[in-house]
Amino acid sequence: MEKNNNNLWIGKRDLKVDREFVENAANEFKEEIPTAQELAAKDDSPLGTTNRRDFLKVLGFGVGAATLAAGCDIPVKKAIPYVVKPEQIVPGVPTYYASSYVRGGDYCAIVVKTREGRPIKIEGNKLSKVTFGGTSARVQAEVLNLYNNNRLKSPKVKKGDKFENISWKDLDKAMMSKLTPNTRIVTNTVMSPTTKKVFGDFIAKYPNTKIVTYDPVSSAAILIANEKSFGQKAIPDYKFDKADVIVSFNADFLGTWISPIEYSKKYVAKRKIKDVENPEMSRHIQVESFMSLTGSNADNRILVKPSEQGAAILYLYNEIAKASGGQTVSSLSLEDNAKANLSKVVKELLGAKGSSLVVCGNNNIGEQVLVNKINDMLGNIGKTVDFTEVSYQRQGDEREMYQLTKDMSNGRVDAVIFFGSNPMYDFAGKKKFEDALAKVKTKISVGYSLDDTAVVCDYLAPASHSLESWGDAMPKKGHYSLIQPTISTIFDTRQAELSLLKWSGGVDSTIDQPYYQYLKNNWKSIFFSEDEAGGFRAFWDKALKDGVYYSAPTKTEVSFGADIASAASAVTKPSEGLEISFYEPVNIGNGQFAENPWLQEMPNPVDRTAWGSHLQIPIGFDGDKDFVTFNNLEDGDTVELSANGMKKKVAVVSTFGQMQGTIALPLGYGRTKAGLVGTKVGADVNDMLADKDGLTQYYLTGVKVSEKVGVDKNFAHVQYHHTIGVTAKDKETGELKNADEAAFPDSFWKDVFGVEGFQGMLTDRSVIFRSNINELKENVEKLEEKRHEYKHLNEQQIYNGYDELYALGHHWGMHIDTNLCTGCGACTIACMAENNVPIVGKHEVHRHHEMSWLRIDRYFYGELENPSTVYQPMMCQHCDNAPCENVCPVNATNHSSEGLNQMVYNRCIGTRYCANNCPYKVRRFNWLDYSTADIFYDNEPTLFEGNEMATLGNDSGQLESDPLFRMVLNPDVTVRERGVIEKCSFCAQRLQEGKLNAKKEQRRLTDEDVVTACQASCPTDAIVFGDMNDKDNELNKRKESPLTFIALEETNVRSSVCYTMKVNNRREDYTA
Amino acid sequence: MSAPVSSIREPLVLGHKTYHDITEDLVSPTEKAPPLSWILVFIPAVALLSLGTFAVYWTIYVGIGTWNLNRTINWGWDITNFVWWIGIGHAGTLISAILLLFRQKWRTGVNRAAEAMTIFAVMCAGLFPMIHMGRIWNAMFIFPYPNTRGSLWVNFNSALLWDVFAISTYFTVSLLFWYTGLVPDLATIRDRAKGVRKKIYSFFALGWTGSAKHWQRWEYLALILAGLATPLVLSVHTIVSFDFATGIVPGWHTTIFPPYFVAGAVFSGFAMVLTLMLIVRKVLGLQEYITIAHIESMNKVILATGSIVGVAYITELFISWYSGYVYEQAAFFNRAFGVYWWSYFGMMFANVVSPQFFWSRKLRRNVTFTFFLSILINIGMWFERFVIIATTLARDFLPSSWSYYSPTWIEISIYLGTFGLFFTMFLIFARVAPVVAVAEVKHILKTGGDQYVGEDAVKGH
Repeated sequence: MEKNNNNLWIGKRDLKVDREFVENAANEFKEEIPTAQELAAKDDSPLGTTNRRDFLKVLGFGVGAATLAAGCDIPVKKAIPYVVKPEQIVPGVPTYYASSYVRGGDYCAIVVKTREGRPIKIEGNKLSKVTFGGTSARVQAEVLNLYNNNRLKSPKVKKGDKFENISWKDLDKAMMSKLTPNTRIVTNTVMSPTTKKVFGDFIAKYPNTKIVTYDPVSSAAILIANEKSFGQKAIPDYKFDKADVIVSFNADFLGTWISPIEYSKKYVAKRKIKDVENPEMSRHIQVESFMSLTGSNADNRILVKPSEQGAAILYLYNEIAKASGGQTVSSLSLEDNAKANLSKVVKELLGAKGSSLVVCGNNNIGEQVLVNKINDMLGNIGKTVDFTEVSYQRQGDEREMYQLTKDMSNGRVDAVIFFGSNPMYDFAGKKKFEDALAKVKTKISVGYSLDDTAVVCDYLAPASHSLESWGDAMPKKGHYSLIQPTISTIFDTRQAELSLLKWSGGVDSTIDQPYYQYLKNNWKSIFFSEDEAGGFRAFWDKALKDGVYYSAPTKTEVSFGADIASAASAVTKPSEGLEISFYEPVNIGNGQFAENPWLQEMPNPVDRTAWGSHLQIPIGFDGDKDFVTFNNLEDGDTVELSANGMKKKVAVVSTFGQMQGTIALPLGYGRTKAGLVGTKVGADVNDMLADKDGLTQYYLTGVKVSEKVGVDKNFAHVQYHHTIGVTAKDKETGELKNADEAAFPDSFWKDVFGVEGFQGMLTDRSVIFRSNINELKENVEKLEEKRHEYKHLNEQQIYNGYDELYALGHHWGMHIDTNLCTGCGACTIACMAENNVPIVGKHEVHRHHEMSWLRIDRYFYGELENPSTVYQPMMCQHCDNAPCENVCPVNATNHSSEGLNQMVYNRCIGTRYCANNCPYKVRRFNWLDYSTADIFYDNEPTLFEGNEMATLGNDSGQLESDPLFRMVLNPDVTVRERGVIEKCSFCAQRLQEGKLNAKKEQRRLTDEDVVTACQASCPTDAIVFGDMNDKDNELNKRKESPLTFIALEETNVRSSVCYTMKVNNRREDYTA
Repeated sequence: MSAPVSSIREPLVLGHKTYHDITEDLVSPTEKAPPLSWILVFIPAVALLSLGTFAVYWTIYVGIGTWNLNRTINWGWDITNFVWWIGIGHAGTLISAILLLFRQKWRTGVNRAAEAMTIFAVMCAGLFPMIHMGRIWNAMFIFPYPNTRGSLWVNFNSALLWDVFAISTYFTVSLLFWYTGLVPDLATIRDRAKGVRKKIYSFFALGWTGSAKHWQRWEYLALILAGLATPLVLSVHTIVSFDFATGIVPGWHTTIFPPYFVAGAVFSGFAMVLTLMLIVRKVLGLQEYITIAHIESMNKVILATGSIVGVAYITELFISWYSGYVYEQAAFFNRAFGVYWWSYFGMMFANVVSPQFFWSRKLRRNVTFTFFLSILINIGMWFERFVIIATTLARDFLPSSWSYYSPTWIEISIYLGTFGLFFTMFLIFARVAPVVAVAEVKHILKTGGDQYVGEDAVKGH
C-alpha cells in the first residue's frame, strides 16, 4: 500500500527514491479531478477509487439530478456526436460560405456563417460591387426564414379539402401527366440566368407556356417608360454617389425601392461631413405626402398629395424645359406652396447639370417618361442615370397578371405553377384572379411555405430555401453572383428549379446533384467557349469562393426618344378629398417577409410601431399648447377606413411629416396564411389597390376615415415621444415656439390653468446635437463650448476612475455617425440574430417589454408640419463610470479590464436597479420566459397574445420552444433565463474570437479582427468599432472630428460610444 | 399617594384603575373566546392574505412579467409598497426607543401595539425586495457568505445591499425589543392560565419570576435595546432613501433624501399607529389606556413631521430650479404637471396641507377627524413613494424611452395581500398577548398624573 499524506506514510517507491514518484510528489493532484460522468463510466465501484470530495460531488450531483429528473419535467435533449467527423467541420469553429440572398427582386451578396452545419448568421459580402458588404434588415433576417415552421415540409396533393403527403416520385409522375403545353409559370422577378435557362427548357417541353412575372410592389412603369424612352426595358444604374442634387418623387430608395442597400451605400458617399471648415453635402429633396424612410433622411421635403404627384412632375418638367429650351406641355393645377418649392428645386437642379438625379417611385408610365426626360434635359443620362450596368432587380409587369386572369377565365390555361410567388395575397387583382384560378385544372405551388397561394393549389412541390440550394443571380449587368447550399435540406424539399427540370424531363437521375451540374454547365457556357474550357475549374472555384464575379460590360449609350405630349396626358390627375398612400414597409415588404418574427417585431423606422399595419395620420399644432391630430384620434385608436368600396379596420398612429389631408398605410400585413407569426397581423390592403392602365397604383383618393370605433388594446409602439423640439407658430404672437415643449403637460393643467411646459426642456438635452450645414461652424463652436463645460463639471468629482488602467491593453469603443445612419434597421436585426435576442410578440411590445439590445431612436425636430429627422442607434454605451455597475447588489454587472460593461447572467438576481439607473435605458429584463430557458416548463408567454390568433397554430403558441426555431441560436451566446437583465455586450464573443485569432497568428490585433454584428451589417458604415487605445485606427480618427459628441456627457458616466452632430443641408427658404 | 398633586398634568390612565383592574382589562382578551367583531375582521384579513399568497406564487411561477413594469419603469408598486411599509414601521421604533430614552411616559399606552405594528410592517415590507427579484431562487446571492465561486462577494457599493443589512438589523432589533417587553406580560398571563396554555406561556415567559433582579436586568436590557434602536430609526430610512439617492436618475439623485425620508417615515408611521389604535381602542374598549391625550400627542408629532416633509418638497422644487440642470427641472416639472400629476398633487394635499389642521387643538383631540386624517396621510405617503419611483422613472433622460405604467391585478393583489398579512398577524397578536404593555402601564399608573385635579378630573378613589 502506498499513501502519501503529509509524509506520515511512506510508500515503497518513496523509499526507493523512485524518480517519477519524486517528481510527482510536489504536484499532488497531477491528474484532472474526475468528473461525475467519468466516474460513472468506470466499471469498478466509484466509491472505491474516489476521494471524499468526489464522493460528495457524486452524491450531490446524484441527488440533484434525481430531484430535477423527478421534480421538473425538463425534456431530455440529446447531443449526438459525429461518428465520423466531416472534414470541414470543427466543433466550435464557424465555417463561412459566400452565397447570395435573393428574394424576388431583392438582392444582396452575402457570407453565411455556419456552426456545426447550421447556418446561424448572414453577413454582407465585401467583394460585391453591388452591395459592397452592406445588408438590410431583410437580409439579416433571412436565416430565420430557413427555420420557419410554416415551411412546406414534404410534397403534398390536395384530396378534398385536405393536403395529403405524396412522394416526390408520385408527384413527378402526376405532373408529367397533368402538365400541358398551356401552362403558366407565375413568378416574381427572376434575376438568375440559370433559372431562366430552366424556364427555357420547360418552355421547350411545353411550348405554349408563358412565364408571368410580376413584383409584389410593382416598378413596372419604370421598365415600360425606359423602354419607351431609351429602348431599354430595365432599371438603370442610378448613381447616387455622383449626384449633388437628388430629387425623389415617392421613391423610397433608402428603404425599399429596387436596391436599397446599394443606393444607401452610394447615397451616403455625399452625406458624410469630411471637412468641418468647408463642409460639403449633397442636397436631397423628397416629394411625398407621408414620411418615408428616405423622406426622413431628406434635407427638404415637399409635401404633395399622391394625386398631385403628376402635377408636380409636370411642373418640374415644364420649368426645366423652359430653362433648357425643351418642349413644354400643358400643366395641371398644383398647390401654390408646392409650386413655390418646386421652382426652387428647378434652380438647384439646373445648377447641378450632369450631377443631379431625379428618381420617381410612382407606378405611372407618363410620370416616369417625364422624369426620364427631366434627367435627359439635365444631362444626367449616362452620368447619374446609366444604362451600362442596368439593374435586373425589377422585371415584373402586373399587366401580365391581368392577362393571365383573362386567359384563365377563358379556359385557355390548363396548369399554373406558382414559382415562389404569392399572388393570392400580394396581387392587387386577386379577387378576380381567384375566381379565374378556380377554372384551372392543375394548380401547383413550387413555393416555400404554406402561404395564401399554396392553400388554393392542388399540388405542393415544396422548394428548398436558398440556403439549402444552388443558384445564381445577375442583379446588374456584368455582376454575377452564386448561391451555394450551406446546409442539406432540413425537410423533404427540392429546389424549385430542379422540380421544373424534372417536369421538363431533362434530368439525368444518375447524377448526385443534378442542379449543381446544370448550374455549372450553364456558367461554363456563359463564360467559356468550348476550347478554353480547361480553365473553367479554377474560375468556378474562385467564383464559388468569392460568391461574386464581375465582368465589366461594354458601355451602353442611350438617347431619349419618347412622346412627351402623350406622357404628359397620362400622368396622375389631381383629385379632391382625403387621400391615402400605401407604402412598402422596410421590414416585411409586401408580405413576403410576414412570416419572419424578427421582421414583424422590428419597429417601422419612421412611426416606430411593430406587429401590425398602422394608419399614419397627420399631426398639427393648435398654435397654443396642444398637438392636434387628424379627427382628434389618439395613437392606438382603431378606425374604419373606407376606400375603393371596401372597409378595413386599422389602428392609427399620428406621424410627424404626414401631409395634412393625407394618410398612409403599409402594405404587407394581414396575410391570411402566414403561419404562426404573420397570420392576420394587421390589415390586408392589396385588394383595395386600384390600377391605372393595368399598373397598380399605390394611392387612393376620396378615402373616408370613420371616427374612433375602438382601441387596439395591444397597440405595439416602442416610442411614445417622438420629438426633440419641433417648432410651430404661436397663434397669438405669430412667433416660432417649441411646440412639443409647450404641449408637454398633461391636458388637465393645460386645459384648466393653461400651464405650458418650459422652453428648452427637450432641446437643451445633450442627447442629440444638430446643425444646418450653413451654421455648422458656429454650432461646432457651441458644441465645443458645451463639451468643455461638461468636462469641467465632470472634473469636479471625487471619483477619479481608472483611466490609467484602461490605457493599458484594449479599450473598446464605438463611434456612430448619425449623418450616415439612414435608420434602415439592419443593425437591429443583426443584433437579434447574433445575440439570441428573444422575440416577445405584440402584446409584450405593447407593454414595452421589447428585448432589442440595439434600437434606433428616432427624433423629429425643426418645423412641426415638415420636420427633419435624426436617427440615433442606441445600445449599451459601456460607460467607464457605469451607473448600472455600482448599484447591482451582487456584482452581476461589472467592468472588464478592456472597458466592457459585462453582464453575468448566472449571477443576476433581477433587482432591475441597473435598468432604472441606466440613463440610456438600454438594459432589458427577461420579464417572462421568452426563450424557454427556465425550469418551469409551461410558463412561456404565447407570442401571439393580442394578435387574435392565440388559439391558432402549434401546440404552445410559443415560438422559441420550437426546436426548429432554436436551430438559429448562436451557440457562442448564452440564452438568457427569465428574471435576468441583458444588454448589448459589444459582441463580446466576437471580440474574444478576434483576440484569439490574433493570438494564434502571433500578431497585434487590428480593428478588422473585431467587428461587431451591428457594424458588419450596416450598409452605410455608420458604425465603427475598435480599440480606443490604438491611436491610428479609424475609430480614433472619427472621434477626433469636432462633430463628435457623447450622449449625456455631463452625467459623467464616461460612455464609450460617440455620436456625431447631425448635419443636414436643409434650405430654410422652402416652405412647409 | 406620594405623587404631587397637579392641576396641569393629565392622567395617563383614566378611570382610577387599580393594578388588578389593569391586569383584568388588558389580559382578559387573551383568555376569552374571540368576540364576533374580531372574527368579522379576521376572515377578510385571511382572505386578503390568501389572495396575496396566490399573487406571489403566480409572480414567482410566471415571472415579473405578470406585473406591468417595463423597460423604462423597472420599479413600481413593488418598491413603492416596500418603502411605504418600512416607513409605517418607524413609529413603533420611535415610540419604543426614542420616547423611552426621553422618558415620555405616555408612550406606554401605545408602545406595545406600535412595536407589534413595526414588526408586522417590516415583514410586509421585506416581502417586496424578495419577490421583486427576477430570480428569487437565487436570493441568497445577496448575502456575503463564503462560497466556492471564487470567493465571489457582494457589491458593497450598492445601496440595495445596505438595505439588506439595514432591514435585517432593524427587524432583529425590533423583534428583540418587542419580545423583551412582552416577557413580564407573558408571565402575567402564564400565572393566570391553566393546562396547555400555561405550558405554552411558561415557555415564552422564559422563566420570569418578577424578582427584583429580573426587573433590574429587564430595565437595563430595555435601555440597551433602546440605545441600539434609536440610531436605527434614523438609519433605516436613510438607507432606504439611498436606494434612490445613489442613483443618477434626475429626481432621485438628491442629498435631501435621508432627512426627508426619515421625517416621512415617522409621519406615516404615526398615522398608521393612530389608524390602528383608534380601532383597537374602540374594539377592545381601551379608551382609558389610550386616551385623548395620547391621540393629541401623536397628532403633534404628525404635524411636526408633516411640516418637515412639506419643507422638503418645496426645497426639492427650489433646488431643481436653482440647479439649472434641465433634466432635474424637467423631472420636477413632470412630477407636478406630467402624466402622473394627480399623484403629485395627491401627495401634496395629503402630506403637507392636511396635517396643518392639527394646529387646532380641537381637531387634534377629535377622534373621528384624526382617524380620517390618519388614513389620508397614509394614502398621501404612498403617493409620495409612487411619485418618487414611477413618476420619476417614466420621464428621464432620453425622450425616446419614456413610458407609462399602471399596475396589473397581480400587483394590486400582492399589495392587498400585505394588508392581509399585516392584519392577520395583528389580530392573532391581539388574541395571544396584551396589546397594551401591562407591566409598563402599571409602572406609570401612580406616577403619571394620578393626582390630577384640573379640568375634567374624575372624582373618585
